[in-house]
Amino acid sequence: MIRELGALTRRELLRLARNPQALFTSLLLPVLYLVLFGQAFNLQNLGSGRIPPAYFLAAFRGAPSYFSYFAPGMAGFVAVTATLFIGANVIFDRLFGSLKRISASPAGATAIFGSRLLAGSILPLGLAFLVLGLSDLLGHLGLSGLEVTASVTVVGAVEIVLAIVILSMMFASIFLAIGFGLEQPQTYFAVVNTINLPVLLTSAALYPWGTMPAWLQTVASYNPVTLAVNILRENLFAGAAAYYPYDPAIYLLGLLAWGLAMFGVAVALARRALGPRR
Amino acid sequence: MTEAIVAKGLAKTYVGGVRAVDGVSFTVEEGEAFGFLGPNGAGKTTTVSMLTAGLRPTAGEAIVDGVDVFAHPSQIKQRIGLVFQESTSDNDLTGREHVELAAALYGVPRRETRSRVDSLLERMQLAEAADRLVKTYSGGMRRRLELAVGIVHDPRVLFLDEPTLGLDPQGRSGFWRYVKDLQKDHGLTVFVTTHYLDEADTSCDRLAIIDHGRIVALGSPSELKDRLGGDVVTVRPAREDPRIAATLQSVPGVLEVTAQDGGYRVKCGRGEELVPILVETCAREGFGLTGVSLKRPSLDEVFLELTGREYREDEGMTATDRAVRLAQVRNTFRGGRR
Repeated sequence: MIRELGALTRRELLRLARNPQALFTSLLLPVLYLVLFGQAFNLQNLGSGRIPPAYFLAAFRGAPSYFSYFAPGMAGFVAVTATLFIGANVIFDRLFGSLKRISASPAGATAIFGSRLLAGSILPLGLAFLVLGLSDLLGHLGLSGLEVTASVTVVGAVEIVLAIVILSMMFASIFLAIGFGLEQPQTYFAVVNTINLPVLLTSAALYPWGTMPAWLQTVASYNPVTLAVNILRENLFAGAAAYYPYDPAIYLLGLLAWGLAMFGVAVALARRALGPRR
Repeated sequence: MTEAIVAKGLAKTYVGGVRAVDGVSFTVEEGEAFGFLGPNGAGKTTTVSMLTAGLRPTAGEAIVDGVDVFAHPSQIKQRIGLVFQESTSDNDLTGREHVELAAALYGVPRRETRSRVDSLLERMQLAEAADRLVKTYSGGMRRRLELAVGIVHDPRVLFLDEPTLGLDPQGRSGFWRYVKDLQKDHGLTVFVTTHYLDEADTSCDRLAIIDHGRIVALGSPSELKDRLGGDVVTVRPAREDPRIAATLQSVPGVLEVTAQDGGYRVKCGRGEELVPILVETCAREGFGLTGVSLKRPSLDEVFLELTGREYREDEGMTATDRAVRLAQVRNTFRGGRR
């Protein structure tokens, strides 16, 4: 099982490394968001001098600016969207026959699924941390940037890493399950977009918390993307804890519950798809 | 144990009611090369999928290398090698990476992997190209790579599903040379589906002909040809005359006369003795002839006899294709594959 998992993960990574254009196109979206969207929507520019800073601090849940609030949200957003291609790869592998070859081997569904999950989560993880790094760099270039106002503890750093790992693996599981279940790339992209966009738009990744209507805040507080982003924001901004009802550890547990549930469903679906056809 | 494959009453009805395989039974002896022939859509690939644990049958049982296929699918996968109809290699991996991956998936002991991969690549004449990406390979090289991947774990039974489809004649004969060598050196049992009849004739010890999901003939190539009753003389008259058929039929030694494409197909025992008699008889009766030809029975003839037509070229979607497509569309909306 371990050997199969290792060999299949190696296959996925080799293919990823030999298609650098996939990496470049994945980079484009976050860069555009940070350099254009994040700069233009830096909301406190609207009321500078007239609106008291405390008002913004509450709206951005302890973040010193919209951009600082937005950057961790963007890291979560990227961790989700970069997992889309994992499921699409399953469909292309089926169309080009290689999935048939692999599922004809004695390698179990767990190894086949697990290898794709492992290899597929590396890109979203890397991109999420790249977004945080780039956001910080922009601040040093005279643009709006991420201002980390808290001193991040070791525990906090671990929480941040875990949040992104669990979030990307959770969505990778969902998209993998959809990939194993569907035959056509067109159908896949139609289905994942009907999941992807509503999930993001019902989360607190991009909207300032203070401008969200109460009902949307309620919906968003259960959204896994919000849970992950809350963990980042609570750890990055001094005094942010006052604006959040729970500790990062609690959000991490909630996110873990989401992750395990989706992983379980996805493995069951993959096992069915990879077993003998009926 | 001398039986490598036993199929008993195997049947498959796809969702939508299409009966792709309708109760086939046969046995394949150990070390034998067994050909499964049939027109497109006859049920060949469905049968292979069932025998290799890729598809659950609607009825029947299958034992491969002494193991019940449907009770122990993972054991079966370990014991057999499988080369698919279509290419299954990844363009952006090298030949060596493909064989190494297969070795890991099939549990080839780590310390043996390297030497086995090297010797297989050597044997398939891929050693020089081993570290090149597969996208640079020719069709024949890809097929040989698929064969190397299929046998890296030293399987007892090798299933080849239309393995030479789309290859040029050199590629086809080359591929078969590798398979025959393996069979000779390792006592490998080979089960091959094909609709290249010449290939089946020269490479298989025994054949089954399947049409509309049923086996219509089973035996060695020479047995099947003998079953036709010998040679076929084709007589082409200069002018149509309704009396010709009866005249030909009256010649002693003629077994059967059928009209075909403006001529007559005369089945007989020993064609070379009958040709002068047929010509003489026609001359005596005043029927001018434009041509007479003698054909020894070929598998094409057997096919013509048994399936009532020359083997079919692609006629768009076959019944199985349609049923599979239908099931796929349904599953798309159900969100899972059954």
